[in-house]
Amino acid sequence: MDNNQPPMIEVKNLHKWFGDLHAVDDVNLSVQQGKVVVIIGPSGSGKSTLLRCMNFLETPTSGEVWFMGERMTTDQKDLNRHRAEIGMVFQSFNLYAHLTVMENITLAQRVVKKTEKKEAEAIALEQLRKVGIADKADKLPSQISGGQQQRAAIARALAMKPKLMLFDEPTSALDPEMIKEVLDVMMLLAKEGITMVIVTHEMGFARAAADEVIFMDFGRIVEKSTPENLFNNPQSERTKLFLSQILQK
Amino acid sequence: MALNDSTAVADRIALRELSRQRLRTRLASFPWWLASIGLIIATTLYLIANAPSFSEAFSTIRAGISVTLTITLISYAISLVIGLVTGLGRVSKNIGSQNIATFYVELMRGIPMLVSIFFIALVLVPGAVDLLGGLGVKLSELGLTGIGEFLSSADNRAVSMSLRAVIALSITYGAYSAEIFRAGIQSVPVGQMEAARSQGLSYGQAMRHIILPQAVRNVLPAIGNDFIAMLKDSSLVSVLAVRDVTQIARLYAGHSFRFPEAYTTLSVMYLSMTLMLSLVVKLIEKRISTNGQ
Repeated sequence: MDNNQPPMIEVKNLHKWFGDLHAVDDVNLSVQQGKVVVIIGPSGSGKSTLLRCMNFLETPTSGEVWFMGERMTTDQKDLNRHRAEIGMVFQSFNLYAHLTVMENITLAQRVVKKTEKKEAEAIALEQLRKVGIADKADKLPSQISGGQQQRAAIARALAMKPKLMLFDEPTSALDPEMIKEVLDVMMLLAKEGITMVIVTHEMGFARAAADEVIFMDFGRIVEKSTPENLFNNPQSERTKLFLSQILQK
Repeated sequence: MALNDSTAVADRIALRELSRQRLRTRLASFPWWLASIGLIIATTLYLIANAPSFSEAFSTIRAGISVTLTITLISYAISLVIGLVTGLGRVSKNIGSQNIATFYVELMRGIPMLVSIFFIALVLVPGAVDLLGGLGVKLSELGLTGIGEFLSSADNRAVSMSLRAVIALSITYGAYSAEIFRAGIQSVPVGQMEAARSQGLSYGQAMRHIILPQAVRNVLPAIGNDFIAMLKDSSLVSVLAVRDVTQIARLYAGHSFRFPEAYTTLSVMYLSMTLMLSLVVKLIEKRISTNGQ
């Protein structure tokens, strides 16, 4: 790969305060194209906030976010342009409740990208096949299972042909038997070379899919390394403690 | 044989008890209130058909129905537009529009409707017309004769009381429907907006395609009830001498001294209209709850 290419996304000296709470404390992070970065850490460690700062769903208090060599600002026009290229998958799916799965996936294509209806539906169907729920295209979100809803939400994000995918605890709201079907889809995307930043508690998935694992605590990055290194040979005491707690379960 | 007889008797007693219970639940679930209202309407209709004093009252007051319905429909439509815009202002992050919207809503909700109708029809509208007239004169002086003359021709006498009534009802009710729309918008989970914005939709696009369709659906019954309330409150415009059913009934009662006839007929007219409308609202409500979700 061309070494002069800027990182897909780069976070520099990022801080986020919620009132008195220092949710993200001086974080630096860079993700190259095609890489899968998994962020782990105890709840309240600021990992979701960091992820949400990457597409400015939370506006950083200070610091910089660079997406494909462009600095992200609060300028709405630029922001919408960038966001159309950054797919996001939420913990609670957030499918549009009044629209069918198909309409969920075609809406942003048509409104933001002005894609023709036919073409948008073809793209939607292709993505639904990929996540394995092409037969649910005409269902409302409330009519399908949680696992299927999350896969539909992934298809919705993919249909915009994003350069980067952000996953905010995508399996945390799912029943245990549905977690695997979502992780399988994410694994498929990782193998396809889609750049992904994933906040998760699924250590097995992190080990198998990640190029880099980041451990966060109290808003700071405590440790980052390859999954083998971080899981087998953690350097920091906090990482060791967290891993021993979570792996005991 | 005797054993058979006694079980047969026991069965019969049990059956009788069962049917008594059924009757009891049926009696309990019967809408007695609706039957009573139906009886009142039927009795009045009978009187209108058979008693000359009632039929005279009815045929006189009937003339106001079209005014009542027209004023209600137009004011309602305008108030929905005002309400939607104001509701959006209420939830807006823009401090200016948020404050303007809240100012308007709280102002209107803090004034009795009767008083606000007087105020709007007799103070606000004439004031606005004078202002436009003054502006027209200024514009004419500045050389913009076309629009200037048009504006300065505005004359308070040209603004009929019916029009003022519509303006007054629209502005007053706009504040109430704004609160309905605000509640509807806030009933849609935050995640819906976040998902839409994360896909690159602008705030306005997200509102239009994602939030409002769900919000309106959630408040459809409330919007329907607002129409019923508007129909009833339109009777207040009789104080502006607009010839709606209430005003005509008042005039009729005043010079014929047939108070029972006039006001019974009037009440039953409103009652029949609101009853029909509330059945429609219930139907819509039922359709929403069965259709999806």
